[in-house]
Amino acid sequence: MKVEFNENNKIVLKIQSTLYSISVVHKCFYWYSGKFDIDIESVDNNLIIKMSNIPDDMDKNSLISKIKKDLLDFNTREIIALETKDIRTLLIAKAFANDDEYDESPPGILDDPIGFNPFDFKK
Amino acid sequence: MDAGTIKEFRKFKSIDKYNTGTTTYFLLPFRFHQVNNEKEVLVNEVGDFLIVPIGTSTRIANRQINDKEEIYADLIANFFISEKPIPDLIDILATRYRTKKSFLDEFTALHIFVVSLRCNHSCHYCQVSRVSENKQDFDISIADLKAGIEHMFRTPSSSITMEFQGGEPLLAFDKVKYGIQYANLLNEVHNKEITFVICTNATVFSDEILEFCAQHNVVISTSLDGPAFLHNANRPKTGTKSYEMVMQGIELAREKLGHDKISALMTTTTLSLDYPIEIIDNYIENGFSNIFLRPISPYGFALKNIKKNHYQTQRYLDFYKKGLDYIIQLNKNGHFMVEDYTTVVLKKILTPFPVSYVDLQSPAGMINNVVVFNYDGSVYATDESRMLAENQDFTFKLGHVQDSYHSLFYGEKAQYFSKFWSNETLAGCADCGFQAYCGADPVFHYASQGDLEGFRPTSDFCTKNMEIIRHIFDLIDREGNDIIKIFNSWINNTPQN
Repeated sequence: MKVEFNENNKIVLKIQSTLYSISVVHKCFYWYSGKFDIDIESVDNNLIIKMSNIPDDMDKNSLISKIKKDLLDFNTREIIALETKDIRTLLIAKAFANDDEYDESPPGILDDPIGFNPFDFKK
Repeated sequence: MDAGTIKEFRKFKSIDKYNTGTTTYFLLPFRFHQVNNEKEVLVNEVGDFLIVPIGTSTRIANRQINDKEEIYADLIANFFISEKPIPDLIDILATRYRTKKSFLDEFTALHIFVVSLRCNHSCHYCQVSRVSENKQDFDISIADLKAGIEHMFRTPSSSITMEFQGGEPLLAFDKVKYGIQYANLLNEVHNKEITFVICTNATVFSDEILEFCAQHNVVISTSLDGPAFLHNANRPKTGTKSYEMVMQGIELAREKLGHDKISALMTTTTLSLDYPIEIIDNYIENGFSNIFLRPISPYGFALKNIKKNHYQTQRYLDFYKKGLDYIIQLNKNGHFMVEDYTTVVLKKILTPFPVSYVDLQSPAGMINNVVVFNYDGSVYATDESRMLAENQDFTFKLGHVQDSYHSLFYGEKAQYFSKFWSNETLAGCADCGFQAYCGADPVFHYASQGDLEGFRPTSDFCTKNMEIIRHIFDLIDREGNDIIKIFNSWINNTPQN
């Protein structure tokens, strides 16, 4: 990530889009948009983030450190969200299904030493 | 089965047989949030949590946790990762998810009846309009009261609360009395469990009122803002001091109804912010074992007096933390005292069950848990919605009590609100580590930010709840089992052994 501190209290960040997706960048900078003006553009293989309206007395190096950490966190959140999308859908479908329609047989072999077959009963 | 197989089966295998150093696990849905400078908390889809060193979530996602690490078994056991693409016990997890959302099965439980707008107080933070004591045009009509009660019995909920509010509802005691009697009559057919609550300033009790309350097992909820100097400044009353009258009312109600039949609620004004300890001590002196350190709501008349009622959320959080620390210390010293809002959050964190607290639910409490029948026959989605209506904003008016149940509870307005009432789908909330413990509040965000979805980076609701939940996890991390024992005693509402 390249960082430029411009005049008029602006910060320009250049992030390779192969490192962080546009979704990660948007979610990360959403949380900064309450305090600062945020402008995000895609140029070639880079995402350019322009931050303005930064107070004079703000420690800009600390701000950049926090942004870097937040980008990593949002990237982790995206990995988890993408990889668990289907299992989450299945989980919620099972949770709200009626009549146990998505239930599966419990794992393992069910048996009993006295010969009772748990599946051999009348409802 | 031959003997050799049995022998092999019975032989215990060494730990190395199972802990192979493998990292080929599958992720299950979870979120995370930083707790302090060393720890983060992982929270799975049903609200189970693990407090772990910062960076653990990234290590999990990047497959850097191997099965020789102690945390591996915790992650498996708590459904953060799985050794199979679909864990064997997914149906258990699904049942737990269903349990967390089981409040939806019950639908509307809390039915608020604003029987009168008349009041004998003129509190500067009052969120609703109030009119003087003798303007009876501002009482609910019998026809509208009956229609509201009939709607109440159409809810699928087996357990309902009928709450009377105002103004001061006891200035229209004839309507309260009629309402309770009519509800009991209808309940002979419906057979629901009903809790009757009267929200009163406790200054207008009479023998007739208290005898009726005792006879019908009515619970009294009153307002007590702390010591006399604070209460009287917040809740002025013409002619007499409110504090002395409230204390007399509380004593009278306890005598006639029983100690536990009356509870008190405080509101944090700008003046209150400097006195958390004094407010808590006042509650203890007056025999209460719980207190709700409740911030002011940004609705109705409360907005008209900015100097007395508007403060930065950070100032409220400082007040809350100072008060909470004091209450925790009281418990450590052997005095049982509960902070109610913390307990709501703790029930979400430490138990598998949902909590019927309408301001902190997803889907939101509006309509799903609460509905308001106003004195003029209007029906509102929440108590706060009718407060907005007093400023001529009818956004959350569902219709008139004489309309059909279907049009009020499942109509176009209800369907429109549903787009904004699940934090699982809201920007900023969808990825939040505290999603399972928090809620959506479209009415609050509409009132404070002008749109139902809300903008999390500047939302007071988000700032407050995110910091309170983080603070609770920080306490759990720093104090471990000592604080968990106190927190469990709050959840069970029983002093520690």
